[in-house]
Amino acid sequence: MSCREMERLFVAGASPADHEAHRRTCAECALLGREADESLALTDGLRAPSWPPTLRQALLEIPRQTVSCEGADALVASALEGEIVPADERRLQSHLSRCAGCTAAAGALYAMRDLAAPEPPPWLSTRLSAARPRSEKRSFFRKALSGKMVIAYAYAAALVVMLLGLNPTAVARKAGFASLGVSTRSAVTVAQSSIGDRLGAMQEKSLRALAAWRGRVGGYGRAAVMNAIGIVWKPEPKKTPNRPRLGKEGGAAASSEEFQLAGGRNREPLPARFRV
Amino acid sequence: MSTIDEKELVARCREGNDDAWRELVDRFGQKVYAIAYHFTMKREDAEELSQEIFLKLFENLHRYDGGFPLVAWILSVSRNLCIDRYRRKKREKSFRFVSDDAVTVLLKSEDDPASMALKKERTRLLFSALAEVPEDLAEILILRDLNGLAYDEIGKALELPEGTVKSRLFRARAEVAKKIRERHENRGTAGAFATLAVAAAGLV
Repeated sequence: MSCREMERLFVAGASPADHEAHRRTCAECALLGREADESLALTDGLRAPSWPPTLRQALLEIPRQTVSCEGADALVASALEGEIVPADERRLQSHLSRCAGCTAAAGALYAMRDLAAPEPPPWLSTRLSAARPRSEKRSFFRKALSGKMVIAYAYAAALVVMLLGLNPTAVARKAGFASLGVSTRSAVTVAQSSIGDRLGAMQEKSLRALAAWRGRVGGYGRAAVMNAIGIVWKPEPKKTPNRPRLGKEGGAAASSEEFQLAGGRNREPLPARFRV
Repeated sequence: MSTIDEKELVARCREGNDDAWRELVDRFGQKVYAIAYHFTMKREDAEELSQEIFLKLFENLHRYDGGFPLVAWILSVSRNLCIDRYRRKKREKSFRFVSDDAVTVLLKSEDDPASMALKKERTRLLFSALAEVPEDLAEILILRDLNGLAYDEIGKALELPEGTVKSRLFRARAEVAKKIRERHENRGTAGAFATLAVAAAGLV
C-alpha cells in the first residue's frame, strides 16, 4: 500500500466528506476505505456475549479463595508463628501458587526459620552454669559444688599435678577420668588447657621482661659509663680552620679522611681499663 | 463513575468490604467476560479467563493509584493473560474453525433465517480473518470495535499514544476486510473447481 492518506485522515479525525473526496481521486484508497467500512459494519452488527450467572457467583467468591499481595504478608507472618487458621492457609496457598514475588518472599522467610542450629561447644554448659546469678541463700555445699568452684578445684588439681611433675592427662586417666560426668570432664579439660595457656603466657611474659631489663641495664649502663669517660677524657675541641668549599674557588678537594661523620671523630683510644 | 469514586471503590475492596467487591464485579464483570470471549471465542475458556483476570485484579488492587480509568487499569493488568490465551488459540488453530454456537451468541436475533445464516457466515469469516492478522492489530480491533472501549482507555491500557491506537485500528480494519475478501475469492475458486470436478465426473 503506497498511499496512506486515508489512514492519515482517519487518525486526524477528518470528516466523511474529506474521506470521500480523497477516495474519488485515489483508487487504492477507495478499495482500502471500502474494506475498512465493511469490517466496521460487520463488527457493529454484533452484540456482546452476556456473562453467565455462575461466573458472577464465582467472581464474588474470589476474596474467600485468595488473598492480595499485601494481605499475603500478614498471613505468611501468621503461618511462621503457627497461628494461621486453615481457611486463611488455603487462601495463602492459592495466592502463592500464582504470585512469584510473594512465593519468593515466603520461601526466604521459611528457609530462614528452618536453618540448622549450630552445635554448642562442650564448655558452653559449664560457662553458662558458672555465669548463673548467685543466690544469697545458697547453702555451703551448694556453693562448694557450684560451677565456679568446680573450675577452681580443677585448676588447683591440675596445678598440683603439674607442680609434682606429673602428666595431668595420665593422672586423670588413672584417676578414672573417663568415669567422670560430662560437665566435670569438660571443666577439667577447660582448666587443663587454660592452665597450660596461662603458664605459657606467663613464661613468655617473664622472658620478655627479663630481656628488656637486661637490655635496659646493659644499654643504659654502658651509655652512662661511656659518657662519664668521655667527659673526663675528652680533649679540648680544636678550632678547625675555615677552608674553602669543596671544589670551589680553587680549593683543593677534601681527602677521604676529612669526610667523617660527626660520631666518627678521631679520638684518642681509651685506656684498656675503661674499655667495656 | 469518576476515577475518584473508582479509587474509593478499590480502597474499600482492599479493606475487605464485600459490598464494594460485589459492586466492582457487577460493574466490570460483563465487560471483562465479553473481552475474554472475543479473545478466546469459547464460552468455557472465556469464563476461565475472566476468573483469572479477576483473581489477578483482586491480588493487585494495591497497585491501582487512580491515575486513569479503572477499566483501562483492568485491561492493563489482564492484557498478558488475554494475549497468552490468544496466542495459544492461534497455535491450536482453533480460531480458524469458529463453531456455530460460538458465533450465534454474538448475533442479534432476527426473524429472517436466511439473513441470520448470512450474518453467521460473515461473522465466522470475521473471526477467522482476525486470527490471521498480527496480534497488535487484532487486540485493538477487539477492544475498540467489538467491545466499544474509548481510544484513551485503550491507549492507557496498552501504553500507546492515541494516534497510534487510531492508526493501528484503521490498519486492523483494512487487514481484516482484506482477509475476508481473499477467503471469499478462494471459496469462489474452490467452488468453481468443485463444479468442474462434478461436471467432469458426469461426463466420464
